[in-house]
Amino acid sequence: MIRPCDMMAVCLARLIRNGETVFHGVSSHLPMIAVLLAKKLHAPDAVHLNIPGGVDPEEPELKAYTSAGGELWETACAALPLQEVFDLSMRGGLDVAFLSGVQFDQYGNVNASVIGDYRKPKVRLPGGAGSAVLIPTAKRAILWRTKHDPRTFTEKLDFVTAKGHVSDIVTPLCCFTMHNGELILKSVHPYSSLDEVAKATGFPIRYFSADTTPEPTAEEMRALREIDPRDLRNLEFR
Amino acid sequence: MIALGGNTLNRAPMEAVLELVRQGKQRLRLVKTAGGLDVDLLSLGGCLDSVDAGFISMETEFGLAQHYRRAVQAGMVKANEHACYTVISALRAGAYGIPFMPVRGLQVSDLRKVNDYFADVKDPFGGETLAAVRALKPDVAVIHVQKADSRGNALIEGPKYDDILMTRAAGRVILTAEEIVADNWFARNTAKADVPHFMVSHVVRARMGAFPGSCYGAYEPDEQMIRKYTALENGKQLRELIGEEERA
Repeated sequence: MIRPCDMMAVCLARLIRNGETVFHGVSSHLPMIAVLLAKKLHAPDAVHLNIPGGVDPEEPELKAYTSAGGELWETACAALPLQEVFDLSMRGGLDVAFLSGVQFDQYGNVNASVIGDYRKPKVRLPGGAGSAVLIPTAKRAILWRTKHDPRTFTEKLDFVTAKGHVSDIVTPLCCFTMHNGELILKSVHPYSSLDEVAKATGFPIRYFSADTTPEPTAEEMRALREIDPRDLRNLEFR
Repeated sequence: MIALGGNTLNRAPMEAVLELVRQGKQRLRLVKTAGGLDVDLLSLGGCLDSVDAGFISMETEFGLAQHYRRAVQAGMVKANEHACYTVISALRAGAYGIPFMPVRGLQVSDLRKVNDYFADVKDPFGGETLAAVRALKPDVAVIHVQKADSRGNALIEGPKYDDILMTRAAGRVILTAEEIVADNWFARNTAKADVPHFMVSHVVRARMGAFPGSCYGAYEPDEQMIRKYTALENGKQLRELIGEEERA
């Protein structure tokens, strides 16, 4: 039985290439764990950047309450504070930024700001954090969302917090990728189906060959449990 | 206008925040890159007019800042959403003594269109159009630090977040400190202060000053207390609770 949190962590990790500079922010346990997983397996020279500014923290003891805490600083090799991670992205030096949102459309636009009107919102959301400047300036913005339903993946956003270099979106059901400015289905997770993804998506899904996402390997699962013994990758599903 | 140090539940100046509620401060304009319980309780306490921030939430375990969310939805607090970097850029402009800062990327966001603190700016040399963010010069920055001497020299241990920039952009700096060290401590140590004394107007000893949030090297968040705060229903309950805490 594959759990969605394990599948998502593994999918996010597989998107990181060796040597890339990679940033994640607050409320980002899944990408934080994915960066550590990628570094442990196929991308040992990826550079882990984060909000506290600890570069490449070694075996951090992850906390449930934050993905921007001192544990990412404690065992780091260098200090590159958030301000300078943004600067790096602005001058074209950030390869990957992990970000999320609440609504996404088929063109890779992201809403993390409001449901309803910006000035008189029905729901005030936490806000896009770095999205509005990182999605357009990082070479690739990789998005994740643990909710996959027609209100999340929808034709019309209430507000466009950010758009730009979205390359992939990982959900509990599937992996989307951007192709010529359009979000297409890349693979369907082994426990889901094309039919389920189509029903859960508020815009028509398009694809070349909707493959099955390769299952997490024994090696990936072993490494995940070492990095994240407290199962914080499941936090967003609890 | 007041800037608060720390990030989400990490090293926020919570003792100072609760004191603002106790004193019944109102109509504060708050600046923070990523806020959490601090912004939430100031919202519940009726202290805020507006919040300039990139992100307001207590992250995944403790979830949305519901008091803040409700205050914005009720029209009590104005949410001036930034990208975290535009808060940083606005504070940099404040610290550099210039009226605005150009920012790349933001031009394509709806945030650029709906907020009057953003505008377009043309590069006078190359001609490129960028977004500009208006300078933020907070009247006061309130920062919680691990070590300060009585003159205001202050050291932040662990992540510094955007605190040091805030001290440079603000007109006045109020420090709360876990520990007050001897006035010759920095002279005798290789570690030097992040904030020099002449920028600081007040130093307050506040052991557990980031409680119930975390303070690097000192304590982790107090889950029970955070849940008590998030479960409150109105400002009266908040003032009662912090009154009790003070007596206890």
